[in-house]
Amino acid sequence: MSNKREREKRREERVQAESQVETSDRRTRLLQFGAGAVFLAVVAVVVLIVASSSSSDSGGEATNLTGVSEANQLFAGIPQEGLTLGDPKAPVTLYEYGDLQCPVCKQYSEEILPPIYGGMVKEGKAKLVFRNFTIIGPESTPAGAATLAAGEQGRGWNYLEVFYRNQGKENSEYVTDEFMTAIAKAAGVKNIAQWNEDRKSAKVTSEVQETTEQAQKFGFTGTPSFAVEGPSSNGIELLGTPGSTESIEEKIERAS
Amino acid sequence: MKFPSEPMLRRIIAFIAALGIGVATYITIADSGGGAPTCLAGGGGCETVANSSYSHIAGVNVAVFGIVGYVLVLATAFFANDAARFGGFALSLGGFGFSVYLTYLEIFKIEAICQWCVSSAVLMTILFLLNATRLIGYAGTDPAAPEAPGRGAPAEPVVSGEG
Repeated sequence: MSNKREREKRREERVQAESQVETSDRRTRLLQFGAGAVFLAVVAVVVLIVASSSSSDSGGEATNLTGVSEANQLFAGIPQEGLTLGDPKAPVTLYEYGDLQCPVCKQYSEEILPPIYGGMVKEGKAKLVFRNFTIIGPESTPAGAATLAAGEQGRGWNYLEVFYRNQGKENSEYVTDEFMTAIAKAAGVKNIAQWNEDRKSAKVTSEVQETTEQAQKFGFTGTPSFAVEGPSSNGIELLGTPGSTESIEEKIERAS
Repeated sequence: MKFPSEPMLRRIIAFIAALGIGVATYITIADSGGGAPTCLAGGGGCETVANSSYSHIAGVNVAVFGIVGYVLVLATAFFANDAARFGGFALSLGGFGFSVYLTYLEIFKIEAICQWCVSSAVLMTILFLLNATRLIGYAGTDPAAPEAPGRGAPAEPVVSGEG
């Protein structure tokens, strides 16, 4: 009887010891996995940072313009006069109040507006008028004036689109004469000397100022802001910032 | 070294993760539900960060990944076993690493700071520290798995929550 108890006691001690060893092994394994995960995470973060620091996405480089032919192609076969895109007799006018330094305007110009250029504007249902609303900073004004001057030679929308595709960081002093001239050449402005003269003229600079004041009178606080005017609209109707192509098309349709 | 009790750690982790869900949800809603973003006069860090190309991965706002991460970390706080301890640690480590990367992008690439993103990064860092403490302090402390049925006395059931 006492032998049996002895055996049971020894067995319990053995099971307990095995359990402790197993627990300790499990703990060691988990901590090793944890250390491995920390190592992997450090490597992943370093790789991500190195990869993103070597990629250049700064924009605003006069000597390295991108998306030029793509931008110019958007306006092939569409008449332009000043900063009016499309048939001047089109029944509906869509006004865009924008700032060339504004990244959201760039997004609109690249993603939301192109189906309208090639659709309702090209079909003669609507014309699109760009007006400067310079709110981002001092560099917005010369950029806006340069666009108006390009418009004098029928390349205003090309200028806008090429500029947006090469836009730099807001107020980072990238809007230099060199940068604006490179954009003008890429946008197909033929007479650069005339463009240079026009963009510095009192007429053009005061127009930038006037349209900015007009946007403020409308109560717009951000760019891009839109307005529409057509046979069925109640004068100029303010649209604010419609979020999609479809939404803008619907407003044009309603105004026509 | 004396660690805080595990139930206490789990409660704090759950609380911080819930705060994180709130912050990440706010960022997601502000980006998508509040109408189209606009460039405001005077500018603002959050607008700049939200409008940057880094704010979305494959068309999905990075804050959505944040929500998923916080929800999973919150879930691990409801269990007291090694899987939950290691899971919480690994998830918050991933979240912490991602936050370091996003903060790097804000400072050096976007050159703008969004307070909401910084709040989320701070919360994720706290979660990582808490989960690391939990793993180091309590990994492998569960009772050993019971032996095969029919051998020896039945083992006590493994408690999966402190109640």
